[in-house]
Formats: sequence, structure tokens, C-alpha cells
Amino acid sequence: MATIDASTIKKIVVACDAGMGSSVMLASTVRKQLKSHGVEVVHTPVNSIPADADVVLTHAGLADRARSSAPGVPVVPFRVFIGDPAVAKVVEAVKKGGTFDA
Amino acid sequence: MPEAAPLPLDPRAIRLDAAASGREDAITQCGRVLLEVGAVEPPYIDSMLERERSISTYVGEGVAIPHGTAEGKDVVRHDAICVLRFPGGVDWDGERVEVCVGIAAKGDGHVRLLSELAQILLDPDRARRLREATEADAVLRLLQPAEEEADS
Repeated sequence: MATIDASTIKKIVVACDAGMGSSVMLASTVRKQLKSHGVEVVHTPVNSIPADADVVLTHAGLADRARSSAPGVPVVPFRVFIGDPAVAKVVEAVKKGGTFDA
Repeated sequence: MPEAAPLPLDPRAIRLDAAASGREDAITQCGRVLLEVGAVEPPYIDSMLERERSISTYVGEGVAIPHGTAEGKDVVRHDAICVLRFPGGVDWDGERVEVCVGIAAKGDGHVRLLSELAQILLDPDRARRLREATEADAVLRLLQPAEEEADS
């Protein structure tokens, strides 16, 4: 567990197995929430997380795969696709400045 | 990708009075509709079932979004979604699902529709209208992106 300074976040990757369904939906809501904050939000399959990701949001069941796919990149696991508190924390930290754990 | 991909949500892919005996039945029905509109080849249905066994595609507000695995993309012919409504509800690993939005995608043709679905799920009133829709037009209107936004 590390504490991340949200001001260092420029690219958020939302990862799921196929990059087809849930990650698309979550990425779109996070992107909308962070519009005007200069943060890029992309969705990808968990096996092809881009190397320049600053943080990865992924389902708890995929967190280990995300960590091995993107070594060194902080991973924030979530359990529900809409309204998960862990995701809300990251969004709030980026919006207002602050930190979150990953 | 075919050059002129059909609209991701074909009115023929909306079924508002479906009934299913359980989660696997509901997913199989979604897969069959995607097959009927020519979006996938038959093995995609197994890929959807396999995906569901790894992590539930329940997304909240009585809605699930069954879709295939990364390997399943090989048998997707074009991006498409289907909407199946189960007024009697389907037990989804303890959650009650009334609407399935089945997805087949190899590109990003469905992203706008899913973005709109995410917005609907954040708005309990619109989510209820989706669950209670009895006409395909109502579903199309709900999922129609509100404004022309260049986000994807």
C-alpha cells in the first residue's frame, strides 16, 4: 500500500479483462467527472496496460493481473462499477488535490 | 472493421418481454440476439458465459452487461449491443437483474452507448425508466447520447 499524490496523476487507465464492457463504462464516467482537470482517462484490457499509466483502476478480481501487467504502477481495486468508494476517492483527490492509497 | 458498421443498437436487438430461468439462460439469450443481428459468430456465446464466470457483469440498478472475453473478440463481426428486458427478474448471483445490455465489440463503436448507459445508471429516475420501458423507442431514446459530444 502506497500513498499517491494526486497532483502527479496525468493518465488514469481503467482495465478489465477484454476492455469491452465494464472498463468502458467506468472510464466514461471518470472521464466526465475529470473533464477540465487535464487528466487523460483510457480503458484497456488488463494485459495491455500502457507503460505511461500513472494509476490503474481495475476490478478487485483482476488486481493481481494488473499488477503483473504493469509493474510499479499503483493499482486501485474496486468492487462495483458505478459508485465504488475507492474510485470516488481517486476522483476526489484529483479534483481537489490530495492523496489516495493504492 | 467493416467500413459502414451498422448502428451499434439495432432496434431488432431490443427485446422487452424476455424471460429467463437464470443467469446463464439470460446470457445465452443475449448471445443469440447478437448472433441474429449478425454481430457475432456462434462461439461468442460460450465466451460470454466464460467471462461471466470469472467476474459478474452486474453493474447496478438492476442492470448487467454480459460480454465476451478478450479471446472472444476474434468471433465478433461488428460492434453491437442488445437490450433484453426481463420483467420477471433474473437472479444474478444474489442481485436481481431486470435489464441485460449484451455487448459485442472489437472496436470502440459501442463506447458512446455505454457512456450513456453509465449516465443512466447514475440517475435513479432514468434507470427506473429503462427497467420499466415497454417500447423499443423508449429504450432507443434513453440510450441516445444527449448531445453530440466528442468524447471517446
